[in-house]
Parts: sequence; structure tokens; C-alpha cells
Amino acid sequence: MRRSFLDFSRVNTEKLFEKRLSVLISILLILTILLIGRLYFLQVISYEHFETLSETNRIKHIQIPPRRGIIYDRNNMVLADNSSLYSVEINIKEATNIKKIITAVDEEIGLTKEEINIFFKKKSKYSHHNVVTLKNNLSDAEIAKILSIRYKYDGLDVTASLLRRYPYEKITNHVIGNVGYIDKKDLSKLNKKKYKGSKYIGKTGIEKYYENILHGEPGSKHVEINARGRQVRDIDEKRPSPGQDIHLTLDVELQKYMYSMLSDYVGSSVVMNPKNGEILGMVSVPSINPNRKLWKFSVNNDEEIKKLKSPMFNRSINGLYSPGSTIKPIVALNGIQNKIMDPEKEYYAGPYYQLPNSSRRYRDWKEEGHGMVNMQKAIIQSCDVYFYMLADRLGIDKIENFFEYFSFGEKTGIDMPYESFGVLPSKEWKNKNIGDKWTKGDTVITGIGQGYFLTTPIQLAYATSIIANKGEIFIPKLNKNLKIKKNNKIKEREFFLKNNINSDDWEMITEAMFKVVNQKNGTAYWTTKNKKNNIAGKTGTVQVYSLSQKTNEREKDNIPDHLKDHSLYIGFAPKENPEIVIATIIENAGSGSKYAAPISNKIINYYLDEIRERY
Amino acid sequence: MNNKNFFGITDTILFLSIICISFFGLILLYSATNQDIDLVFRQGTRLGFCFILMFMIGSININHIKMIAPYIYIVCIFLLVITILWGHDSKGAKRWIVFFGFSFQVSEILKIAVPLMLAWFLSLDEDKNFDLKKLLFSFLIIFLPILLIIKQPDLGTSLIILLCGGITIFLGGIKKKHIAYLLGSLVIIIPVMWKFFLLPYQKQRVMTMFDPTSDPLGSGYHIIQSKIAVGSGGLFGKGFLNGTQSQLEFLPERGTDFIFAVFAEEFGFIGILILFLFYLILIARCIHIVGNAKNYFSKIIAGSITSIFILLIITNISMAIGVLPVVGVTLPLLSLGGSSLLSIFIAFGIIFSVNRRN
Repeated sequence: MRRSFLDFSRVNTEKLFEKRLSVLISILLILTILLIGRLYFLQVISYEHFETLSETNRIKHIQIPPRRGIIYDRNNMVLADNSSLYSVEINIKEATNIKKIITAVDEEIGLTKEEINIFFKKKSKYSHHNVVTLKNNLSDAEIAKILSIRYKYDGLDVTASLLRRYPYEKITNHVIGNVGYIDKKDLSKLNKKKYKGSKYIGKTGIEKYYENILHGEPGSKHVEINARGRQVRDIDEKRPSPGQDIHLTLDVELQKYMYSMLSDYVGSSVVMNPKNGEILGMVSVPSINPNRKLWKFSVNNDEEIKKLKSPMFNRSINGLYSPGSTIKPIVALNGIQNKIMDPEKEYYAGPYYQLPNSSRRYRDWKEEGHGMVNMQKAIIQSCDVYFYMLADRLGIDKIENFFEYFSFGEKTGIDMPYESFGVLPSKEWKNKNIGDKWTKGDTVITGIGQGYFLTTPIQLAYATSIIANKGEIFIPKLNKNLKIKKNNKIKEREFFLKNNINSDDWEMITEAMFKVVNQKNGTAYWTTKNKKNNIAGKTGTVQVYSLSQKTNEREKDNIPDHLKDHSLYIGFAPKENPEIVIATIIENAGSGSKYAAPISNKIINYYLDEIRERY
Repeated sequence: MNNKNFFGITDTILFLSIICISFFGLILLYSATNQDIDLVFRQGTRLGFCFILMFMIGSININHIKMIAPYIYIVCIFLLVITILWGHDSKGAKRWIVFFGFSFQVSEILKIAVPLMLAWFLSLDEDKNFDLKKLLFSFLIIFLPILLIIKQPDLGTSLIILLCGGITIFLGGIKKKHIAYLLGSLVIIIPVMWKFFLLPYQKQRVMTMFDPTSDPLGSGYHIIQSKIAVGSGGLFGKGFLNGTQSQLEFLPERGTDFIFAVFAEEFGFIGILILFLFYLILIARCIHIVGNAKNYFSKIIAGSITSIFILLIITNISMAIGVLPVVGVTLPLLSLGGSSLLSIFIAFGIIFSVNRRN
């Protein structure tokens, strides 16, 4: 019985086992089928979704920046090009320990404290870039050293990039301008797609003005990357199209000469071809080497540059100066055009001019006065009293109206960014900007280009070209291929100047300017011995510091440098059929005839004798 | 039956399917490790060693295995204690002990040692009902190692061992009433465990399973990349050595936990079905052997091993496609690793031994 019970029980447990096993296997089988269903969903139904995810995982789109266009002068001399530059860079996103990487790089190639500081500054300033440069301009040996440790540090890399190079350094700095890192301000304005792979953007000068032409179209490529972000291979590539080259009207030989003439001073000189508005030379001093600025990143710490007076300031288009006596020929034309004064009639010009009912004396630069002068003599000797009188008779409205024809108080329209307007004073202007009524005294000193009148060197050169052309106007330009069509405003001005001033009067004025340089009592007579180029010119001396009525000459020598007079000169040559126009300003040097005039005449002679000869 | 074949190989089809799958595992490993041929050779050597062990166990009489089962269990418990005391640290957990230069994970062996011990215990008085005394002893056998493994800490493996033990007592005839009680108490225990026993990284793993995108670069990364690998494999796969997710190393733990994702990416859905077919043949042979088993111990242990084998496959694949949290379960016969391979081959050795007596 017991045994049979046991037997029965044994069968029972085995049956239970078999039942249990089939239940368990069934459950597991159902789970497996569900799993296969899930796999079917992932691999067959959602295949495309995961395929896309997998592709985006491994494929990276890389922008290839275009080669920036090269800038040439008129004779195909390179003024700005690109050189290969190898730099150590750290990808902030990929790097796990930036400090460790820097230490490792320092051990290999050595870093200065400044380089490390700059790296961290850049890291915070350009936080929108993932990649920040640690050291630029690597030598071959340094490249090899970094490449040998690169595999140890994610995010560390050596990259080749094209760096802008300016072979003429300081000489062309202001006119060419320079490129700089794209900062957040640039980023808000530019086409992000176009600049995704670019590091630099034109910041000033031609580089800025022609940024769209110079930059070019970026290319791109797809590369396969692994999980650590390293590029494994290229998949496809669209080559970038390089930026267009630009040929400037500048003649770098002339530019070099101009720079050498001015480099000891503070000021600017602009040389232009009056026949077509081409700028042949444009110098602003002091200047800095733009190459250094790019490499070292920080100019602010450079002691040598700190000593200079506003070296980043382009005086040629932004420097505002009273034109002084250089505008006397235009005031004279104004008198002729308005028939206020007979050019032939002689007036007595004493030591000073006085307005009726006023005790204030408007003194002539020549203490004893010029005696009897007609218009031509007044220009030749730069007689202040004659022009005080002429301005007084014209009145400010007529002066303002006439000077507009010479484009004072507005941009010349040269192809440079940020050009200044200058100030052409008027009743309205004074009321608005000074908050005061215009006085007759204001008019009187406007007649000799003092007071509120402010011009830039480019404006003076432009106005001088209009005189040289006897009323024909060419807007100044730097890009040789730029075709400027004269707009209606310019055409109206030309029409006015040619029809309201007859050629005899133009001739009289240019003759007067010719005599300034070529007649013994001319203010610029002694400034050049070489008279064969028939230079016509006009000096100007601008008081920075108004000497009191009773100051005598001897005390003038004791005034500090920064209050000394600005020295100005405008000129063109040859007198008939002029080929060159110049406007030069030397800050705080002294009288026009002593500095600006001799320098300008040397430049004119150099151009006509040395450079023009070669063409 | 062709049972007295060669060494312990008592079932040719089972043996061939083991050979096929594990040999294919080596090829897959070559792809998963970025063509690291040295590593494949090392795994091949381990595999060879495991085969020899399997032959040896297969040629032992199953009754002898039954006799030594408790000693195996005791040795394992002893080794677990050693692991906790002098174990090898890895990511803050002591899971390894080093034996003559080989590192060894005792908890893997327990996946087989616990069912073996339970089968021995349950077959002591096989005729008796599954009473409370049996239940309590069974629990003691299961929870003693589990507590030690939780201490390491390795929650994933403890859960797997719990399931392994659970399978054995289910087959051993635990009463339905008790099953209901146990499931009921789980409902209470789980929230308590969550609150007081789970470490933050473990909670994180569970959480990211439900929403991998909540931490795409942290613990969600594994699941996201693995799902991408599996999904982008499509119907036919990207081809051997062409899986971008695995070859470009987006996929983590390619050789071990996520080897299935490598497989799915390179061989696609069709490949998976073929793999499942091989597994099915293997399992079908095992069930056949269970059905022919002559004594209760043989039935229980062979049935447990077969079920556990299926369970491990399901768990690993579920992990790889984000259905279960990443608990560190290898894919039997395919994953890289010594300890888990060892326990699988010991298990098959036992199956062969069971078949010997049939």
C-alpha cells in the first residue's frame, strides 16, 4: 500500500513537473515571439527612422572656407594675400580636460603665459566657436611634436588655415584695412551659412568694403566620424569657390614714397588722378603692421603701439580738420560766381579786418598786411583780410550753397567703409549742433577755412580735383574695375560749375594756384626747386589754439606740440591737363608752407618724374 | 540511443548546434572588437577549455553530479564571501576574484549552482508535497547567495539568480497558493526596495529604460545607440564588418552586453531569424533530453537549465532593444567573457550527462 502510494505520488510529481515545464516553456516562447515582434517593428517598420539616426551619428557635415580674394595694386603688386598657417587648436566640446591638454602642449613646444591667457580669453569671448586656437604660426618641428601626442588627447588638433598677409605692412594698413576674428557683432549681421567655416572677416578698409566679393563661396564635405569625433574618411566633397581678386587703383611705389615722406609725422596724404577719380596713394600716419595684429591677437598690450597717436585711425577718410587757407581758391570762385567782387579790382588789405560796430580784429597772418591786392594776388600771398572781406560780403548762405558743389559736408562716395561727413557750417547747422545763432564773425573766419568748417583729406583732394578739372567731377575710387556712373546730382553740379563760372575765371584761379608755387612771392614758392612739372597748389595753416589778440610771435614758439598749427596743402600738376591731385595734412607741425607743401610737391614730382615716366 | 558516442557527447545535434553558435560567436566578436584578432584568439582558447570541461562533465554519471551538487554550492558561497572580502574592484563593485592570473566572476557560476542545489534538495524527498518546510529551505538556498551578491553590489545578477532559482522551484512543484502569495508580496516589496535598497545608478538605469532621451549622453546613451544599431540593421543588415554603429564605436560594450546589437546591425532581421532557428534547434534538443530523463533530479536540473538558457537569451535581447534595463546579462554562447561562458558549458555538460543515463 505504502509503496503503491509512493508510486502514485512519484507519478504525480513527475506529471506535475511535465505540466510545469510545458507552462514555463510556453511562457518563454510567447515572450520570444513578442521579442521577435518588437525586433520586426524596430528593424523593418521603423527602419528608416533608425537608418537616419545612424547616418547622422556617423556623418558630419564640414564647411570648407573659401580662399579669400587677393588684393593687388594697379601694377599687379600683391597688397594682401593668404599664407598657410598651422595652429594648435582645442575643440572645447570634445576635450575632456583642457588644462591637461595645455600642459601637454606646453611640454612639447612651450607656451608663453600670454598665449595661455589669450586662449582662455578667446574661449570665453568666442564661445560660439567650438574650436579655439592655442598657438599660431607653428614651425614644422612643432607640428610634428603636436601630431605625435595628438592621439592621447581628444579635442587636440593641428589645423592648417589660410592667414591674411599684408606684404606692405604699415604702408598700406589703413587703405587695405585688415581682417579679424568674426565676433558676435559680425555674427548677427552676416549670412551664417556662408561663414560657417570661416574664421576671419574684413573689419576695416578695402577688406571690409569688398567683403562680399573677397570672401567667396564656401565648400563643404561629408566625413565619416567615429564615436570620439575623429574623422575616419571623406565621403564626398564640394570644393569652395575662392573669393574674387581685387585690383586697386593704388600705385604701391607711390604709396611707399608717400609713406616714407610722412612717416615721421602725424597726418595724411591722398593722391588722386583728376581725370578719372582713381586714388593713386592714400597714407595715414601713424600706422601699425596689420600682420602682427593678426598673429598676436592683442594689440592693446603692445607698448610700441601704445606710444603712437591713434594709429588705428584712418585720417584719410575720418580725420576732421579745418581746411584753412586751402579753400581760398573756392571762396574766390564763389565771389566770381556771385559777382560779389571783380577779380581784377584791387582792395587795400591791412593787418586786420574789422566788422562794423565791433572792436574784434580779424588779423592777417602777415603782421604788416599785404597792401593793395586783387583776387589773384590774394590767393598767391594767401591774404586773409581779402577773404575776410569777401566772405563777409558773400554771407554764409551763399558760401554754404556754393561749397556744396565741391561736396563738402558730405561723403565723397569713395569705396571705403565708415567715411566721415565733415562739417559744412551753416546757420541751421550751428543752431542744431551748437545751439547758438550764427554771427557775422562766424562767416568771416569761414572765409579762410577756420571756425566750424571741417573736412577730411579725401574731401580736400576731391574738391581740388574739381578745381583742376575746371568743374568736371570724378568720384574718387579705389577699385580699378569699379564703373561709377555719374548720377544726376553730380551731372547737375558739373553743369552748374561749367555754366556759371567761365573758363577765363577757372583759368585765373588755377593760374593763381600755379603762381603760389611758381612765383617768387607765392607762399609755396620755395617749397620745390623742381619747377618743370608746373605744379599748382595752395597752402593752409590751421590754428589749433586760438592765440589771443595780443600774443606776439615769440611766444608762439613756446606752445606745446599738440597745440601747434596743422600744416595743410592742396595741389595738382601739371597746371594744364593735370594728371595728379594731392591733399596733405600734417598735424601740429606748423605752417603749411613749411611741412605739407614741400612734402606734397616732392610726392607730385616723384610721381610725374619717376612713376608716370615708366607707363 | 547513440549515447556512448565520444567522450561526453551524447547528442550530436545538440553538440553541433553549440559548436555552430559559439563558433559564429567568435566571428561576430571579430567584428564587435574592431577586428581585434588577439582577443578573438583568447576567447577561442577559453572556448576550447570550456568544451573540454563540457566533455568531462558530460561523461560523469548524473548521480555523481547529484552527489557533489551541495559541495559545489558550498564552495560557491565560500568563493562569494572571498569575493566580497578580497574581490577585485571594478567601477565601485567587487565582483571578481583572481585565480592564478585569471579573473573570475563567481556570481555567474551561481546561475547554475543554485538550480543544481535546489534540484538536489527537492529530489531528496521527491515524493512529498511541496510543503512550507521545503519552501523555506528552498528560499534559504536561493537567498543566501543573492544577499551576498547584492552586497557586491550587483543587483542585475542577483535578480537573474532569483529568476533561475524561481524556475527550479516552479518546476519542482511549488504550490499555486504559494506562487500567488509570493507574487502578492512582490507588489509590496518592490516599492520598498526602490526606496531603500536601490543605489542611485541602479535607479538611473531603470529610469532611462523608460525614457532613454532623458539622459542621452549618460546612461541613456547605451540604450539609444543600441536601438539605433538594431533598427538601422533593417531586414538584411549592413553586412559583416560594415555596421557603422559598431565599427565606429558608437555602440558601447560591443563584445559583452550589446553583442546582439552588433549582430542585428550587421545581419538584420533575417539574420536574427536564422540565429533564433539555431537556438531553437538547440533548445528543442534540450527539451527532448528533459523528456527522456530517467530520474527526478535529472528532469528538474535539465528542465531548469533549458528554461534558464531561454530566459538569458530573452533578457539579453530585451536589454539591447531597451525593453529591460541594462542588467549585465550576456547573450549565451555569443558574448565575450569567461565566467558566463564557463557556467553555460557546465550547464550543457550536465545536459549531456543527463542524456547519458537515458
